[in-house]
Amino acid sequence: MADSDNDSGGAHNGGKGSEMSPREQDRFLPIANVSRIMKKALPANAKISKDAKETVQECVSEFISFITGEASDKCQREKRKTINGDDLLWAMTTLGFEDYVEPLKGYLQRFREMEGEKTVAARDKDAPPLTNATNSAYESANYAAAAAVPGGIMMHQGHVYGSAGFHQVAGGAIKGGPAYPGPGSNAGRPR
Amino acid sequence: METNNQQQQQQGAQAQSGPYPVAGAGGSAGAGAGAPPPFQHLLQQQQQQLQMFWSYQRQEIEHVNDFKNHQLPLARIKKIMKADEDVRMISAEAPILFAKACELFILELTIRSWLHAEENKRRTLQKNDIAAAITRTDIFDFLVDIVPRDEIKDDAALVGATASGVPYYYPPIGQPAGMMIGRPAVDPATGVYVQPPSQAWQSVWQSAAEDASYGTGGAGAQRSLDGQS
Repeated sequence: MADSDNDSGGAHNGGKGSEMSPREQDRFLPIANVSRIMKKALPANAKISKDAKETVQECVSEFISFITGEASDKCQREKRKTINGDDLLWAMTTLGFEDYVEPLKGYLQRFREMEGEKTVAARDKDAPPLTNATNSAYESANYAAAAAVPGGIMMHQGHVYGSAGFHQVAGGAIKGGPAYPGPGSNAGRPR
Repeated sequence: METNNQQQQQQGAQAQSGPYPVAGAGGSAGAGAGAPPPFQHLLQQQQQQLQMFWSYQRQEIEHVNDFKNHQLPLARIKKIMKADEDVRMISAEAPILFAKACELFILELTIRSWLHAEENKRRTLQKNDIAAAITRTDIFDFLVDIVPRDEIKDDAALVGATASGVPYYYPPIGQPAGMMIGRPAVDPATGVYVQPPSQAWQSVWQSAAEDASYGTGGAGAQRSLDGQS
Protein backbone atom coordinates (compact mmCIF):
# COMPACT_ATOMS: atom_id res chain seq x y z
CA MET A 1 0.00 0.00 0.00
CA ALA A 2 0.99 3.57 -0.51
CA ASP A 3 1.07 4.10 3.24
CA SER A 4 3.71 1.45 3.82
CA ASP A 5 7.00 2.60 5.28
CA ASN A 6 8.80 -0.32 3.68
CA ASP A 7 9.68 1.76 0.63
CA SER A 8 12.57 3.38 2.44
CA GLY A 9 14.15 0.05 3.38
CA GLY A 10 17.49 -0.35 1.61
CA ALA A 11 17.06 2.88 -0.29
CA HIS A 12 19.94 4.53 1.54
CA ASN A 13 22.57 1.84 1.21
CA GLY A 14 25.34 3.95 -0.30
CA GLY A 15 27.35 6.94 0.87
CA LYS A 16 25.58 9.39 3.12
CA GLY A 17 22.59 7.07 3.20
CA SER A 18 24.47 4.30 4.97
CA GLU A 19 25.18 6.65 7.86
CA MET A 20 21.52 7.57 8.19
CA SER A 21 19.84 5.79 11.07
CA PRO A 22 16.39 4.23 10.66
CA ARG A 23 15.01 7.04 12.82
CA GLU A 24 16.56 9.67 10.56
CA GLN A 25 14.96 8.09 7.50
CA ASP A 26 11.61 9.03 9.00
CA ARG A 27 12.50 12.66 8.37
CA PHE A 28 12.28 12.17 4.61
CA LEU A 29 9.79 10.77 2.18
CA PRO A 30 10.90 7.49 0.59
CA ILE A 31 13.51 8.07 -2.10
CA ALA A 32 11.74 5.68 -4.48
CA ASN A 33 8.54 7.71 -4.40
CA VAL A 34 10.41 10.99 -4.81
CA SER A 35 12.43 9.57 -7.69
CA ARG A 36 9.32 8.32 -9.48
CA ILE A 37 7.72 11.76 -9.35
CA MET A 38 10.94 13.45 -10.53
CA LYS A 39 11.01 11.21 -13.59
CA LYS A 40 7.58 12.47 -14.61
CA ALA A 41 9.11 15.93 -15.05
CA LEU A 42 12.01 14.78 -17.23
CA PRO A 43 12.52 13.40 -20.72
CA ALA A 44 12.61 9.62 -20.94
CA ASN A 45 16.34 9.46 -21.60
CA ALA A 46 17.26 11.71 -18.69
CA LYS A 47 19.01 10.25 -15.66
CA ILE A 48 18.97 11.38 -12.05
CA SER A 49 22.03 11.13 -9.84
CA LYS A 50 21.75 9.69 -6.34
CA ASP A 51 22.72 12.97 -4.71
CA ALA A 52 20.08 14.84 -6.72
CA LYS A 53 17.40 12.47 -5.45
CA GLU A 54 18.61 12.84 -1.88
CA THR A 55 18.71 16.62 -2.18
CA VAL A 56 15.11 16.71 -3.39
CA GLN A 57 14.14 14.41 -0.49
CA GLU A 58 15.53 17.01 1.91
CA CYS A 59 13.86 19.85 0.01
CA VAL A 60 10.44 18.17 0.26
CA SER A 61 10.74 17.70 4.02
CA GLU A 62 11.77 21.33 4.31
CA PHE A 63 8.74 22.32 2.20
CA ILE A 64 6.39 20.38 4.49
CA SER A 65 7.92 21.93 7.62
CA PHE A 66 7.89 25.41 6.07
CA ILE A 67 4.20 25.32 5.16
CA THR A 68 3.20 23.49 8.35
CA GLY A 69 5.00 26.03 10.53
CA GLU A 70 3.15 28.93 8.94
CA ALA A 71 -0.20 27.13 9.19
CA SER A 72 0.48 26.22 12.82
CA ASP A 73 1.24 29.85 13.69
CA LYS A 74 -2.08 30.88 12.16
CA CYS A 75 -3.99 28.26 14.17
CA GLN A 76 -2.37 29.44 17.38
CA ARG A 77 -3.26 33.07 16.66
CA GLU A 78 -6.85 32.00 16.13
CA LYS A 79 -6.85 29.74 19.22
CA ARG A 80 -7.51 26.63 17.18
CA LYS A 81 -5.79 23.31 17.83
CA THR A 82 -6.26 21.43 14.57
CA ILE A 83 -4.49 22.26 11.31
CA ASN A 84 -6.83 21.66 8.38
CA GLY A 85 -6.58 21.86 4.62
CA ASP A 86 -7.62 25.49 4.40
CA ASP A 87 -4.85 26.48 6.81
CA LEU A 88 -2.32 24.81 4.54
CA LEU A 89 -3.70 26.56 1.47
CA TRP A 90 -3.55 29.90 3.26
CA ALA A 91 0.05 29.23 4.29
CA MET A 92 1.03 28.38 0.72
CA THR A 93 -0.46 31.63 -0.53
CA THR A 94 1.33 33.60 2.19
CA LEU A 95 4.66 31.95 1.40
CA GLY A 96 4.51 32.53 -2.34
CA PHE A 97 3.12 29.26 -3.66
CA GLU A 98 0.02 30.78 -5.22
CA ASP A 99 0.35 28.58 -8.30
CA TYR A 100 -0.22 25.51 -6.15
CA VAL A 101 -3.39 26.75 -4.48
CA GLU A 102 -5.73 26.69 -7.46
CA PRO A 103 -5.24 23.00 -8.36
CA LEU A 104 -5.17 22.02 -4.70
CA LYS A 105 -8.44 23.80 -3.93
CA GLY A 106 -10.20 21.63 -6.48
CA TYR A 107 -8.44 18.57 -5.11
CA LEU A 108 -9.48 19.34 -1.53
CA GLN A 109 -13.06 20.05 -2.56
CA ARG A 110 -13.36 16.71 -4.33
CA PHE A 111 -11.83 14.93 -1.37
CA ARG A 112 -14.37 16.47 0.99
CA GLU A 113 -17.20 15.47 -1.33
CA MET A 114 -15.94 11.90 -1.31
CA GLU A 115 -15.55 11.96 2.45
CA GLY A 116 -19.19 12.99 2.66
CA GLU A 117 -20.13 9.92 0.64
CA LYS A 118 -17.90 7.74 2.80
CA THR A 119 -19.59 8.97 5.97
CA VAL A 120 -22.84 7.44 4.77
CA ALA A 121 -21.14 4.22 3.71
CA ALA A 122 -19.19 4.06 6.96
CA ARG A 123 -22.28 3.05 8.92
CA ASP A 124 -22.56 -0.15 6.94
CA LYS A 125 -18.96 -0.93 7.81
CA ASP A 126 -19.67 -1.05 11.54
CA ALA A 127 -21.17 -4.52 11.34
CA PRO A 128 -18.37 -6.70 9.93
CA PRO A 129 -15.04 -5.46 11.34
CA LEU A 130 -13.03 -7.16 8.62
CA THR A 131 -9.99 -4.97 9.21
CA ASN A 132 -9.23 -6.85 12.43
CA ALA A 133 -6.92 -9.83 12.69
CA THR A 134 -7.53 -12.80 10.41
CA ASN A 135 -9.00 -14.88 13.22
CA SER A 136 -11.44 -12.17 14.26
CA ALA A 137 -12.31 -11.53 10.64
CA TYR A 138 -13.01 -15.20 10.10
CA GLU A 139 -15.28 -15.37 13.14
CA SER A 140 -17.04 -12.18 12.07
CA ALA A 141 -17.58 -13.59 8.63
CA ASN A 142 -19.12 -16.74 10.06
CA TYR A 143 -21.26 -14.68 12.38
CA ALA A 144 -22.48 -12.45 9.57
CA ALA A 145 -23.15 -15.42 7.32
CA ALA A 146 -25.12 -17.20 10.02
CA ALA A 147 -27.13 -14.13 10.95
CA ALA A 148 -27.89 -12.63 7.56
CA VAL A 149 -30.00 -13.53 4.54
CA PRO A 150 -28.16 -14.42 1.30
CA GLY A 151 -28.41 -10.77 0.27
CA GLY A 152 -26.27 -9.97 3.28
CA ILE A 153 -23.40 -11.89 1.76
CA MET A 154 -23.34 -9.54 -1.20
CA MET A 155 -23.25 -6.56 1.12
CA HIS A 156 -20.48 -8.35 2.95
CA GLN A 157 -18.37 -8.40 -0.19
CA GLY A 158 -19.15 -4.77 -0.85
CA HIS A 159 -17.83 -3.85 2.56
CA VAL A 160 -14.55 -5.57 1.85
CA TYR A 161 -14.09 -3.49 -1.27
CA GLY A 162 -15.07 -0.27 0.43
CA SER A 163 -12.66 -0.66 3.32
CA ALA A 164 -9.50 -0.79 1.19
CA GLY A 165 -6.65 1.70 1.33
CA PHE A 166 -6.53 4.79 3.48
CA HIS A 167 -9.87 4.27 5.16
CA GLN A 168 -8.83 0.78 6.18
CA VAL A 169 -6.09 2.21 8.35
CA ALA A 170 -8.48 4.59 10.07
CA GLY A 171 -11.15 1.90 10.38
CA GLY A 172 -8.72 -0.53 11.92
CA ALA A 173 -7.65 2.05 14.46
CA ILE A 174 -11.25 2.67 15.49
CA LYS A 175 -12.24 -0.98 15.73
CA GLY A 176 -9.02 -2.25 17.27
CA GLY A 177 -10.03 -1.37 20.82
CA PRO A 178 -13.55 -2.75 21.12
CA ALA A 179 -12.65 -5.97 19.34
CA TYR A 180 -10.34 -7.15 22.09
CA PRO A 181 -12.60 -7.13 25.19
CA GLY A 182 -14.85 -9.82 23.80
CA PRO A 183 -16.99 -11.06 20.92
CA GLY A 184 -20.07 -9.45 22.41
CA SER A 185 -18.85 -5.98 21.44
CA ASN A 186 -19.36 -6.72 17.74
CA ALA A 187 -23.11 -6.54 18.00
CA GLY A 188 -23.69 -4.10 15.13
CA ARG A 189 -25.71 -5.38 12.17
CA PRO A 190 -26.41 -4.08 8.68
CA ARG A 191 -30.01 -3.19 8.09
CA MET B 1 14.46 26.68 -37.74
CA GLU B 2 12.28 28.51 -35.23
CA THR B 3 9.27 26.46 -36.29
CA ASN B 4 11.22 23.23 -35.97
CA ASN B 5 12.42 24.20 -32.52
CA GLN B 6 8.90 24.92 -31.38
CA GLN B 7 7.61 21.64 -32.74
CA GLN B 8 10.44 19.73 -31.11
CA GLN B 9 9.75 21.54 -27.88
CA GLN B 10 6.07 20.74 -27.91
CA GLN B 11 6.64 17.12 -28.79
CA GLY B 12 9.16 16.73 -26.02
CA ALA B 13 7.01 18.46 -23.45
CA GLN B 14 3.85 16.58 -24.34
CA ALA B 15 5.27 13.10 -24.73
CA GLN B 16 7.75 13.44 -21.88
CA SER B 17 10.08 11.46 -24.12
CA GLY B 18 12.92 12.15 -26.52
CA PRO B 19 15.51 14.87 -26.07
CA TYR B 20 14.56 18.48 -25.52
CA PRO B 21 15.76 20.79 -28.29
CA VAL B 22 19.21 21.43 -26.87
CA ALA B 23 20.68 20.38 -30.21
CA GLY B 24 18.34 22.89 -31.82
CA ALA B 25 19.67 25.65 -29.60
CA GLY B 26 23.23 24.62 -30.46
CA GLY B 27 22.33 24.67 -34.12
CA SER B 28 20.96 28.17 -33.75
CA ALA B 29 24.17 29.37 -32.16
CA GLY B 30 26.22 27.69 -34.88
CA ALA B 31 24.11 29.24 -37.63
CA GLY B 32 25.23 32.72 -36.56
CA ALA B 33 23.40 35.60 -38.21
CA GLY B 34 19.61 35.36 -38.28
CA ALA B 35 19.33 32.88 -35.42
CA PRO B 36 17.65 33.99 -32.18
CA PRO B 37 19.96 34.35 -29.16
CA PRO B 38 20.29 31.07 -27.21
CA PHE B 39 19.18 32.58 -23.93
CA GLN B 40 15.94 33.80 -25.44
CA HIS B 41 15.24 30.30 -26.69
CA LEU B 42 15.84 28.78 -23.27
CA LEU B 43 13.70 31.42 -21.61
CA GLN B 44 10.79 30.69 -23.92
CA GLN B 45 11.33 26.99 -23.38
CA GLN B 46 11.12 27.29 -19.62
CA GLN B 47 8.06 29.50 -19.68
CA GLN B 48 6.28 27.20 -22.06
CA GLN B 49 7.15 24.10 -20.06
CA LEU B 50 5.96 25.61 -16.80
CA GLN B 51 2.74 26.89 -18.37
CA MET B 52 2.02 23.45 -19.76
CA PHE B 53 2.91 21.92 -16.41
CA TRP B 54 0.38 24.02 -14.47
CA SER B 55 -2.29 23.63 -17.12
CA TYR B 56 -1.79 19.87 -17.07
CA GLN B 57 -1.97 19.77 -13.28
CA ARG B 58 -5.30 21.58 -13.27
CA GLN B 59 -6.74 19.11 -15.75
CA GLU B 60 -5.30 16.05 -14.04
CA ILE B 61 -6.55 16.99 -10.59
CA GLU B 62 -10.06 17.48 -11.94
CA HIS B 63 -10.10 13.82 -12.90
CA VAL B 64 -9.04 12.51 -9.52
CA ASN B 65 -11.67 10.20 -8.09
CA ASP B 66 -9.61 8.00 -5.80
CA PHE B 67 -7.88 9.56 -2.79
CA LYS B 68 -6.49 6.28 -1.50
CA ASN B 69 -3.71 5.78 -4.02
CA HIS B 70 -1.13 8.41 -3.23
CA GLN B 71 2.26 8.94 -4.72
CA LEU B 72 3.57 9.61 -1.22
CA PRO B 73 2.95 7.83 2.10
CA LEU B 74 0.56 9.77 4.32
CA ALA B 75 1.97 8.44 7.58
CA ARG B 76 5.41 9.77 6.73
CA ILE B 77 4.01 13.19 5.78
CA LYS B 78 2.18 13.33 9.09
CA LYS B 79 5.36 12.42 10.95
CA ILE B 80 7.28 15.21 9.25
CA MET B 81 4.50 17.68 10.12
CA LYS B 82 4.55 16.55 13.76
CA ALA B 83 8.31 17.05 13.99
CA ASP B 84 7.41 20.65 14.83
CA GLU B 85 6.58 20.59 18.54
CA ASP B 86 4.12 23.46 18.14
CA VAL B 87 1.97 21.33 15.87
CA ARG B 88 -0.65 19.61 17.98
CA MET B 89 -3.54 18.19 15.98
CA ILE B 90 -3.74 17.55 12.25
CA SER B 91 -6.98 16.93 10.39
CA ALA B 92 -7.24 13.87 8.14
CA GLU B 93 -7.34 16.04 5.03
CA ALA B 94 -4.01 17.78 5.74
CA PRO B 95 -1.61 14.91 4.85
CA ILE B 96 -3.74 14.10 1.81
CA LEU B 97 -3.54 17.68 0.61
CA PHE B 98 0.21 17.68 1.27
CA ALA B 99 0.66 14.50 -0.73
CA LYS B 100 -0.54 16.36 -3.80
CA ALA B 101 1.21 19.63 -2.89
CA CYS B 102 4.54 17.82 -2.48
CA GLU B 103 4.07 16.18 -5.84
CA LEU B 104 3.60 19.61 -7.45
CA PHE B 105 6.65 20.89 -5.56
CA ILE B 106 8.86 18.00 -6.70
CA LEU B 107 7.70 18.40 -10.29
CA GLU B 108 8.35 22.16 -10.37
CA LEU B 109 11.74 21.85 -8.69
CA THR B 110 12.75 19.07 -11.08
CA ILE B 111 11.64 20.97 -14.19
CA ARG B 112 13.60 24.04 -13.14
CA SER B 113 16.63 21.91 -12.26
CA TRP B 114 16.58 20.11 -15.59
CA LEU B 115 16.93 23.40 -17.45
CA HIS B 116 20.27 23.91 -15.74
CA ALA B 117 21.44 20.44 -16.73
CA GLU B 118 20.45 21.18 -20.33
CA GLU B 119 22.39 24.43 -20.32
CA ASN B 120 25.46 22.41 -19.39
CA LYS B 121 24.77 19.81 -22.10
CA ARG B 122 24.22 17.01 -19.59
CA ARG B 123 21.62 14.23 -19.58
CA THR B 124 22.02 13.45 -15.87
CA LEU B 125 20.39 15.65 -13.24
CA GLN B 126 22.92 16.49 -10.54
CA LYS B 127 22.90 18.15 -7.15
CA ASN B 128 24.22 21.43 -8.51
CA ASP B 129 21.26 21.57 -10.91
CA ILE B 130 18.96 21.49 -7.88
CA ALA B 131 21.10 24.17 -6.26
CA ALA B 132 20.84 26.33 -9.37
CA ALA B 133 17.05 26.04 -9.45
CA ILE B 134 16.90 27.00 -5.78
CA THR B 135 19.05 30.11 -6.22
CA ARG B 136 17.13 31.18 -9.32
CA THR B 137 13.62 30.85 -7.89
CA ASP B 138 12.36 33.26 -5.24
CA ILE B 139 9.81 30.94 -3.68
CA PHE B 140 12.60 28.43 -3.06
CA ASP B 141 14.55 30.82 -0.82
CA PHE B 142 13.71 28.73 2.22
CA LEU B 143 15.80 25.91 0.74
CA VAL B 144 19.15 27.71 0.54
CA ASP B 145 20.41 25.91 3.64
CA ILE B 146 19.80 22.53 2.00
CA VAL B 147 22.54 22.95 -0.59
CA PRO B 148 26.13 23.28 0.62
CA ARG B 149 28.13 26.43 -0.06
CA ASP B 150 30.41 24.83 -2.61
CA GLU B 151 27.39 24.05 -4.77
CA ILE B 152 26.41 27.70 -4.55
CA LYS B 153 29.99 28.76 -5.27
CA ASP B 154 29.83 26.80 -8.51
CA ASP B 155 26.76 28.80 -9.40
CA ALA B 156 28.49 32.04 -8.53
CA ALA B 157 31.30 31.15 -10.90
CA LEU B 158 28.79 30.31 -13.60
CA VAL B 159 27.10 33.64 -13.03
CA GLY B 160 30.38 35.29 -13.98
CA ALA B 161 30.59 33.17 -17.09
CA THR B 162 27.07 34.05 -18.19
CA ALA B 163 27.95 37.73 -18.21
CA SER B 164 29.71 37.04 -21.49
CA GLY B 165 27.29 34.44 -22.77
CA VAL B 166 23.99 32.86 -21.82
CA PRO B 167 22.36 34.67 -18.90
CA TYR B 168 21.98 32.49 -15.86
CA TYR B 169 18.77 33.69 -14.25
CA TYR B 170 15.26 33.76 -15.65
CA PRO B 171 12.29 35.75 -14.32
CA PRO B 172 9.60 33.74 -12.55
CA ILE B 173 6.82 32.77 -14.91
CA GLY B 174 4.12 35.36 -15.35
CA GLN B 175 5.96 38.02 -13.36
CA PRO B 176 7.68 41.18 -14.60
CA ALA B 177 11.46 41.08 -14.57
CA GLY B 178 12.95 41.47 -11.12
CA MET B 179 9.67 41.48 -9.23
CA MET B 180 9.72 39.55 -5.97
CA ILE B 181 7.15 36.84 -5.41
CA GLY B 182 5.66 36.23 -2.00
CA ARG B 183 7.90 37.70 0.65
CA PRO B 184 11.64 38.20 1.23
CA ALA B 185 13.94 35.36 2.21
CA VAL B 186 13.04 33.86 5.56
CA ASP B 187 16.60 33.34 6.80
CA PRO B 188 18.44 36.66 6.54
CA ALA B 189 20.69 35.63 9.43
CA THR B 190 22.28 32.76 7.54
CA GLY B 191 24.17 35.12 5.28
CA VAL B 192 24.20 32.60 2.45
CA TYR B 193 23.12 35.24 -0.05
CA VAL B 194 25.19 38.25 -0.88
CA GLN B 195 22.11 39.66 -2.59
CA PRO B 196 18.61 38.35 -3.36
CA PRO B 197 18.36 36.26 -6.54
CA SER B 198 16.02 38.70 -8.24
CA GLN B 199 18.60 41.47 -8.02
CA ALA B 200 21.26 39.11 -9.30
CA TRP B 201 18.98 38.33 -12.18
CA GLN B 202 18.56 42.00 -13.04
CA SER B 203 22.30 42.53 -12.91
CA VAL B 204 23.05 39.56 -15.14
CA TRP B 205 20.25 40.43 -17.53
CA GLN B 206 21.52 43.97 -17.99
CA SER B 207 25.06 42.72 -18.50
CA ALA B 208 23.84 40.20 -21.03
CA ALA B 209 21.78 42.84 -22.83
CA GLU B 210 24.91 44.95 -23.32
CA ASP B 211 26.89 42.02 -24.64
CA ALA B 212 26.72 41.87 -28.43
CA SER B 213 28.51 38.58 -28.89
CA TYR B 214 25.85 35.97 -28.15
CA GLY B 215 26.62 33.97 -31.23
CA THR B 216 30.23 33.49 -30.25
CA GLY B 217 29.41 32.64 -26.63
CA GLY B 218 27.98 29.15 -26.73
CA ALA B 219 29.31 26.30 -24.62
CA GLY B 220 32.78 27.79 -24.38
CA ALA B 221 31.56 30.84 -22.50
CA GLN B 222 29.54 28.69 -20.13
CA ARG B 223 32.53 26.59 -19.23
CA SER B 224 35.00 29.43 -18.85
CA LEU B 225 35.48 30.75 -15.33
CA ASP B 226 36.50 34.35 -15.78
CA GLY B 227 35.83 35.07 -12.11
CA GLN B 228 33.55 37.98 -12.88
CA SER B 229 30.78 38.18 -10.27
